[in-house]
Amino acid sequence: MSNTLRPYLNAVRGTLTAAMCLENFSSQVVERHNKPEVEARFSKEVLLTPVVVSRNENEQVLIEPSVNSLRISIKIKQADEIERVLAHKFTRFLMMRAESFVVLRRKPVAGYDLSFLITNFHTEQMYKHKLVDFIIQFMEEVDKEISEMKLSLNARARIVAESYLTQFFA
Amino acid sequence: MILLETSNKILEETLRERFNSGPEHLLIKLADFDGVTYQIATPESKTQLVISMAMGCYDECQRYGADAILQREYGSLLVSTPEPGFAVTLKIDLEQLPATPEAKEQLVQQVAHLKRNALAAPFESAFVAQCEGRTTDLMAVHYRDAEAIYCQAQADRVTVIFSTVFKEETDRIFGKVFLQEFVDARRQPAIQNAPQVLYSAREPPLEIRGQPGLVDDENVGYVTFVLFPRHYATPQARNEAIGRLQLFRDYLHYHIKASKAYMHSRMRARVDQSLKVLNRAKPEQPGANKEKKTASGKTFRRM
Amino acid sequence: MTNHLPAVVIDNGTGYTKFGYSGNNDPQFIIPTSIAVRDSVGQAGSARGQTVTGNLASKRGIEDLDFFIGDEAVANAKTYSVHNPVRHGQVENWDLMEKFHQACLFQYLRCEPEDHHFLLTEPPLNAPENREYTAEIMFESFGVKGLYIAVQAVLALAASWTSGKGDQTLTGTVIDSGDGVTHVIPVAEGYVIGSSIKHIPIAGRDITYFVQQLLRERENSIPPEETMEVARRIKEMYSYVCPDIVREFRKYDVDPATWFKRHEFVHSVTKKPYHVDIGFERFLGPEIFFNPEIASSDFLTPLPEVVDGVIQSCPIDTRRGLYKNIVLSGGSTMYKDFGKRLQRDIKRFTDDRLRASETLAQHNLKMANSQDQVKAGQLEVKVVSHKKQRYAVWFGGSLLADTAEFYNCCHTKAQYEEYGPSIARYNKVFGSML
Repeated sequence: MSNTLRPYLNAVRGTLTAAMCLENFSSQVVERHNKPEVEARFSKEVLLTPVVVSRNENEQVLIEPSVNSLRISIKIKQADEIERVLAHKFTRFLMMRAESFVVLRRKPVAGYDLSFLITNFHTEQMYKHKLVDFIIQFMEEVDKEISEMKLSLNARARIVAESYLTQFFA
Repeated sequence: MILLETSNKILEETLRERFNSGPEHLLIKLADFDGVTYQIATPESKTQLVISMAMGCYDECQRYGADAILQREYGSLLVSTPEPGFAVTLKIDLEQLPATPEAKEQLVQQVAHLKRNALAAPFESAFVAQCEGRTTDLMAVHYRDAEAIYCQAQADRVTVIFSTVFKEETDRIFGKVFLQEFVDARRQPAIQNAPQVLYSAREPPLEIRGQPGLVDDENVGYVTFVLFPRHYATPQARNEAIGRLQLFRDYLHYHIKASKAYMHSRMRARVDQSLKVLNRAKPEQPGANKEKKTASGKTFRRM
Repeated sequence: MTNHLPAVVIDNGTGYTKFGYSGNNDPQFIIPTSIAVRDSVGQAGSARGQTVTGNLASKRGIEDLDFFIGDEAVANAKTYSVHNPVRHGQVENWDLMEKFHQACLFQYLRCEPEDHHFLLTEPPLNAPENREYTAEIMFESFGVKGLYIAVQAVLALAASWTSGKGDQTLTGTVIDSGDGVTHVIPVAEGYVIGSSIKHIPIAGRDITYFVQQLLRERENSIPPEETMEVARRIKEMYSYVCPDIVREFRKYDVDPATWFKRHEFVHSVTKKPYHVDIGFERFLGPEIFFNPEIASSDFLTPLPEVVDGVIQSCPIDTRRGLYKNIVLSGGSTMYKDFGKRLQRDIKRFTDDRLRASETLAQHNLKMANSQDQVKAGQLEVKVVSHKKQRYAVWFGGSLLADTAEFYNCCHTKAQYEEYGPSIARYNKVFGSML
């Protein structure tokens, strides 16, 4: 793990823990509705200032808190074409399974690759610190998975090319 | 399975079964790579097996001597006027099969390689010409809708150029990774003798510049194989080279797809793992009173 | 160019996968739905991650291509571990299924999936998520041109059109009996009536066991290790369905010469020939469908009664159609006269019921002092058997995939990219107006 990753993740963890301070809040606009305010954006006074934690221009996290919900959007490192395609494939695959991930958003916020939406109902049912753990671990793993996939793609390509070319020695 | 077979499995198995059991009425339509279709039928009597093949680029192959190759390979089996809609027709009389099982099997193999033999024409004529020290014109075979093989014998080598089209972004990028490895593979001492491979995206290589039908598009790439006499001097090496070269495109695409399947299985594993982490955040429901397992496999509930 | 390329039809069953090109009468390949993988890879696929083996596997490269499917998988069972990705008709392991398809396409059919349309089958009551996963595999990994997922029972109905006996409708009751289990599935206008489906735990394997048991009691010339195989062969070659067991027994007693058969078997290892006399098991084997009590003690409802019950539990406006078109599918429905017997027995139930309601109505009328005669309309019961019964599902698929309409009903790659895998949740019913 490179030395800038640790402080970056720590900063995300700190901000997330602070932001995950949610309470049940009925809509002020529509009677008997209860919506995640960060998505609905009906009343300005319940939204808090969004925070961007950034490691570099390619890797950043946008945290948008509000009174009853919290949105986390992640930009995944994409150094080249291959990583871009792999990241796209992977995030798409994950978002297809958003149903089972509960807190995962089916669509990322514009400009980011992957978004989570955590509401007060989630924090009521799950341990807050474990939820933060999940997000952090997830961020670590996504990077790792993508670089591993890239490595294995290259390795495969090499074997495939070699086994094809060795055929010409009959 | 890393390499693809050069023969057609359905043809092979159908023939083997027909050769070794009683006559039966047949009508089978099947396909192969690169838009080739076959039809196996018994139109006149149950013992007359008629195998026809349709191939988009057969007239081009014909120009480069496919007829002669098929004549050599299949001889009297070849029907002079192919069935309507097909390029080549073979007729096998099941009552006059070779006697020994080995000879039967050889016939099966020969017929199963029908597509390979038909498509071998341009390669073979280039190889033969080069061995005799002649050069040939550029021979183009448009074996798929938007893709073609170009083949030319030059003074000291034979050049084979493939134009490849990738239908989507992912394929293109995966394809690039694979092709780059084809180019780099020769640096390995073990396969230094393999043909040299060159790859260029978008820009057609010098040899085929000015050919009609070249598409200028992001998704088009050109792969050049440079073969030297050691790759085709002996008949055995030549056969191997022809079989391999023909299947290059299918091989590449097969592996692109296989790696996508592999990525899928990796991602599935990753999703399962992440879900486990997420589920850790959920406290165990106190009221649920879950069943627990003992080491021996019995279950019990803690009261 | 691509227009004349035939579509690919794949029917993944629990035991066997039938696949081939559309427009043919028989599937080109019938192979066991098994896949043999290296142990380490199988595990790495399911629990990869921080584990050392997982990382090693990914570095070494392409171990995931080291696998066999079908008969080759069974042959390699010693050095590889064999898995069945399909259980009870449903796909259980998508990793293995994806590999299975990969080998089917590239090794067996030799088709470039980008050039072909695909017709896959699913069991009734399949979860829509499974369709999405299938679509994800077919479109994303293989980039197929078009995909249609058909319900097996509907294809079996379509296959029965060739018999030339029934109308070409997509309403009917499908009796699908394979090796493991028998399903009775009512279909109304192409839609499966899910709530009425019934499963019967009697199928091909049970018949084999029963025949084996009968042989064991009488024949002692059969080597013990061969009894299963002998029973299976006898079942396949000599079995038939009789109209009445008692009379059938008498027939055998009166004229043993024409009814008792003798078959010569060869021992698979020692190559020694031996004779087996074949008698009552010829008709007793399939009889367990109609009198289950002779073989099993836990399931006692005869097949005709189950079928009648299923149809009776369906919406009332579909029942006539369901009785009129009872379609057989699967290898265990191939016995001679199976359809006739089934039809007769079901007819008995419906006739009894009609008569009962007639008398009841008559009785009520008498109370009202009317002299009218009550006559119920006849109910037609027809069991359709046809030549393609054994691979009916595949054949139905091959038939439908060969029509021009199929191409309009397929989900295309462009649609998939536009809407995502959820398009595969819904597959148009088609074929009813052919």
